[in-house]
Amino acid sequence: MPPQLKLNAVAFVSPQNHPILIRTFAQGQDELKYHYIAHTSLDVIDERIAAALASKSTDCYLNLLYTMEDVAVYGYITPLKVKIIIALALTDSVVRDADVITIFRALHTAYRQAVANPFLKVNAPIDGYNDHATLLQAGNSKWRAFRKRVDDIGKAVGAVGSAT
Amino acid sequence: MASRNSFQTPANRPSSSTSSVPSLAAVADPPPRYIDGAAMDYFVIEMVNTLRASSAVATARVKKVEKELVDAGLMPPSAPAPPTLKKSQLRDSIGSDASLHPVSKDGNCEDDEELRARLEAIGMHVGANMAERLCHERGLFSDTLDAIKFICKDLWNACWEKQVDNLRTNHRGVYVLQDNSFKPLTRISGWEGRAESLKRARVYVAMPAGIIRGALGRLGYQATVVPEVTVLPQCTFQVKLPKGS
Repeated sequence: MPPQLKLNAVAFVSPQNHPILIRTFAQGQDELKYHYIAHTSLDVIDERIAAALASKSTDCYLNLLYTMEDVAVYGYITPLKVKIIIALALTDSVVRDADVITIFRALHTAYRQAVANPFLKVNAPIDGYNDHATLLQAGNSKWRAFRKRVDDIGKAVGAVGSAT
Repeated sequence: MASRNSFQTPANRPSSSTSSVPSLAAVADPPPRYIDGAAMDYFVIEMVNTLRASSAVATARVKKVEKELVDAGLMPPSAPAPPTLKKSQLRDSIGSDASLHPVSKDGNCEDDEELRARLEAIGMHVGANMAERLCHERGLFSDTLDAIKFICKDLWNACWEKQVDNLRTNHRGVYVLQDNSFKPLTRISGWEGRAESLKRARVYVAMPAGIIRGALGRLGYQATVVPEVTVLPQCTFQVKLPKGS
């Protein structure tokens, strides 16, 4: 019986620790709570990164960060320093690392495909190192496709569990 | 026709047209999409010519507006500084990925500069997204040298099907990447003699320089990349990373 993972929320954080997108899937839950969770995760992630650097590991997957009342929070950092944080509903069954890693890779792919859109920054200055300004407007219409992809992933997680 | 597993088109996903949600595994590791290698080379070469024509039109448009302003007496018939301002306001109407407007003296040089700036802007976007795509499988970068090695091997392989031939560094943030037969330059030949060919070839390395710069930028290193062509088809890129990275 494959464990049913339920994705509660997803958060993407830019390399400068600005939020890009925070999306919740659980009904009847306070969205602000997940903002708070994402924010506190940043500190934990920083600790883990420092530890990883010290031990010369190059793993992207940061594993379980911490658990709160009813969610378990996992973290992942891409080589481009974008952090992905997900909150899974706590279950009693065993959560396999491989499943969580698959979820993260799917999220990373969605992010990558959304960011590759050249029309996001048509009017931006050339030295697009102020990427961050554009990223922060992730709430608005141009990022709709990204949100839809993230939603799809959320549904896929709920529906499929671990059909791999 | 050769085909290669590079240039993953970061385009729209056509898959979710069916009613069911795509499986998680399919989304996590999408199968790579292929593109014809020779067609890609052809397009890149033609792109330079097209953009040259396009930026000539854009510059002409800007100059016309300037001239009108000067004639109407609103602007003193001066000096390089106002063109910079004018152009940045008209940037939106040009509708490209932006242009930088360095001051320069004569007509040709200016056109070429603008063309080069546009190519570099395009290259930056392409490079950043290639880096994203290529980093999907690997882990974190341990340090700057690791990032440069990634560029020399993975990025070069994906874009130009070989690896950098020579990497030198002065350990203080300057790296020199040398490629003895740089792919975009291998097909260039001209009847006017070596110096002319070199001059023309310079434009074609603008986009690769942008690609490198964009990739490094996405990795978090604001670098400046200066390409140099001394002998066709050899090309060197001087990458300068800011201190402290």
